[in-house]
Amino acid sequence: MKVVTGVVGNDIHVVANRLIDLSLRARGFEVFNLGVNTYLEEFFDAVVETGADVLLISSLNGEAEGWSREVKPLKAKYKNLDNLIMMIGGNLVVGSGDAEQIVPKYKNYGFDLVCHQIDLNTGLDWLEELIEKRNLK
Amino acid sequence: MNKSTSQGNDKLLIDVGSTYFKVSTADSIEQHFRDFNKDILDDLVHRCGDTIDRFDKDDVHICSSANGGLSTLIIGVTNSFSLKYATNIAFNSGINIIDTILYQNIEEYSIPSDLVDVVIIVGGIDSCAGIFNESLYNYLSQLNYSNVVFVGSEQDAPVLKQNIENIAILPNIIDNKLHIVEEHLKEYLTNLYQQDIEGKEDIKNLYDITANQIYSTPYIVNKTLPHIDARYSVVDPFILLDIGGATTDIHYSKDLVDDNLVTENEYDRMVFKKLGVYKSKQSLIFAAQNNEFVYELLMHLKVTENIFNEQSEKATRILMQLAIFLVLCKISHYRKAYINLKLLAINSIVLTGGITKVLTTEEIEDIVSFFYKKILTSDHKPVVVLDTNYDIWTLGAKG
Repeated sequence: MKVVTGVVGNDIHVVANRLIDLSLRARGFEVFNLGVNTYLEEFFDAVVETGADVLLISSLNGEAEGWSREVKPLKAKYKNLDNLIMMIGGNLVVGSGDAEQIVPKYKNYGFDLVCHQIDLNTGLDWLEELIEKRNLK
Repeated sequence: MNKSTSQGNDKLLIDVGSTYFKVSTADSIEQHFRDFNKDILDDLVHRCGDTIDRFDKDDVHICSSANGGLSTLIIGVTNSFSLKYATNIAFNSGINIIDTILYQNIEEYSIPSDLVDVVIIVGGIDSCAGIFNESLYNYLSQLNYSNVVFVGSEQDAPVLKQNIENIAILPNIIDNKLHIVEEHLKEYLTNLYQQDIEGKEDIKNLYDITANQIYSTPYIVNKTLPHIDARYSVVDPFILLDIGGATTDIHYSKDLVDDNLVTENEYDRMVFKKLGVYKSKQSLIFAAQNNEFVYELLMHLKVTENIFNEQSEKATRILMQLAIFLVLCKISHYRKAYINLKLLAINSIVLTGGITKVLTTEEIEDIVSFFYKKILTSDHKPVVVLDTNYDIWTLGAKG
């Protein structure tokens, strides 16, 4: 199964990005890592070019908030992304925030899985559960 | 006829442009406005027959951009990868792009009425299949083209081969890491361009005076860039603007692009097809009238919009100054081209072409500084270098 991943916006947290890449590979995913400083359009375009099933966006400095507001309108411009699993993880707000408020907000932005300050392996377990639920494996 | 003075390292270099031709020998360089009622060879012989006669065919080297180049239409599946990569390769091969089509919306695009020399179809990494369908074949069936090439997913190649007559299949330009692979498409396009030059009647006649291959001018210029410091003290990173009669070419150091395009070239090229001061004058004026800063620039230059209707030396100077401003706008974030250059990082701006015979360094510096102040709100002042003697071209043409 193919996953496109990367760090959104003007965010250079490369270590987390590398860990996500390694962990996904260890679980048998085919990973297309766009690295740091990636714009939203590049994420969706990479999904189209690779035929990926999952888009996993990471963010550590709170950049995600601004960018995520653009997810729905941008995704709507693409004609074949309805079945794409959208996942976001990391530190999704500037400073600290309450996950109970943050998770619904990001789901409303168009993400299926929202992992705010969640351990990486737990997040990837959730991803595998969702894939199984959707009978994609 | 005896070629009395053609000896040793002497070479006659000829560049045929859409507006001027330039003839260079070891001791002199001459430039002539073309007579469009004449065949290029007749025009050349009429103006510089004596000079041409002095050289053996083996010592005459010609390059040309006057045939207009090849036109291409690119069909790709995304802006960030397939269309961007194919566009980059086409520009670097000296090809003019008439349009790019985002495949998912192909049914919404109008069909160009002119003959397209080559259609490039691209999309998907090799492990991705089933990208293209009937809508592509429908579009192509209405399009008038001479060549078609597929450089996308290898899994889709057999299907396209079955459905599109005479399609050339080349290795994918996108590898499995989503990086660009240039060489195969670049070679294919460069060969097509070469065949095109050789096939054009006007250019074909030029083989009467040369025994050497006639190259495209952008190819020659690009070849020179790594050696540019042999002639000028140009500080990297730099851009080179060749504002001609019909088109404007920009050659730029790769350091100026902060992008997902990772290539092995040190320099890339971009072309603005309808930006020139002679053949493309009307579209230049149109572009100017649509730029909100141009009226301020005209005021700065102490002229009014009426200058567009004038036919004078002054009007040409103003048009050239406008061309510099518009080109800089087009490669800045103010007007998003397919690539934006980091203009605040530029140390030198080199200008070549007919513009160097008309404008002074001060006049160009004035426009450049206006651009930086108005568009980038910066006092940055890159050094302006004028290639007045066409050294860049002669350096490349001498090989």
